[in-house]
Amino acid sequence: MLSNMPFIRRYKDLNTDLPSLYKDIVKELQNEKELNISNELKGDVNKVPFMSVTASRKSIPKLVTGTLREVTVTITGEKNDYLVEMHTGAWFSNLAMPYLGATILVGPLAGLALAGATGLYAGQYGRKLKGTIKGLVKKHSKGTYSDEKVETFAE
Amino acid sequence: MVLTRKYKDLGTNLESLYKDIKNELQQDKDLTISSEMNGSVNGVPFKTLTAVRATAPRALTGTLREVTVTLAGVSDDWLLEVHTGAWFGNMILPGAGGFLIAGPIGAAAGAGTTMVLAREYGRKLKNKIKELIKKNSGKQYAESKIETFID
Repeated sequence: MLSNMPFIRRYKDLNTDLPSLYKDIVKELQNEKELNISNELKGDVNKVPFMSVTASRKSIPKLVTGTLREVTVTITGEKNDYLVEMHTGAWFSNLAMPYLGATILVGPLAGLALAGATGLYAGQYGRKLKGTIKGLVKKHSKGTYSDEKVETFAE
Repeated sequence: MVLTRKYKDLGTNLESLYKDIKNELQQDKDLTISSEMNGSVNGVPFKTLTAVRATAPRALTGTLREVTVTLAGVSDDWLLEVHTGAWFGNMILPGAGGFLIAGPIGAAAGAGTTMVLAREYGRKLKNKIKELIKKNSGKQYAESKIETFID
């Protein structure tokens, strides 16, 4: 799956400093030269603390299919019970044929999918960010990180 | 939700279509245009527009977070992509009418009758764009000129 893949984790009993975790995630997104922070929302939803940041690609990519378009990271909850959602979006991801390494575009549109060695792929970026967020959760938690305190939701 | 459609032989004025779609997104008071790109990719004209929710929602699960519309190609051979994103969309339990989350964070998914749901918005926008394509095309619209791609 190339894009539009929300990755959600629920963390319990970790005593995590959520504002610091959020700040470090924003910093991580700011460090990516292809991205601009395009939206930040902070507040609460039905009295549950809520922080969400979206970063979008700054410029037109050299190729389109599968290239990272935006990433949104959302944290909601309290230090001992919270959710982290990471969404990465890509253009025209459902035109890619993952097993053939090709696309189904032909004619004048085929140029959209041509190779560009420096592309920032949504799938690749999402995997990297997921690992970084795990490291940051550990950094900002006073409780010991263990798999039984973490639940992953996937489509 | 991602909808990708390829349109052929419609003689569509893509500049006008893009402007009309942008106008449509700007009319929604919950949305703000956050990103726009106009140019070309490997010689193929390319326009993309993202609008994001401007304020924290009253309820999270399924609420519209962002919408991106992209047009790429030339008047007789082009692609449309509409993406709508929602917060915590995969925590909904379809058919059960409930949510998977409980405890203090359960409230974040709770009631909010005025929320804009991503799926509902996506369906509405899809139909509006269909009208706008007809309006901005010089040739007759027919299902045989359209191909839909799904995940």
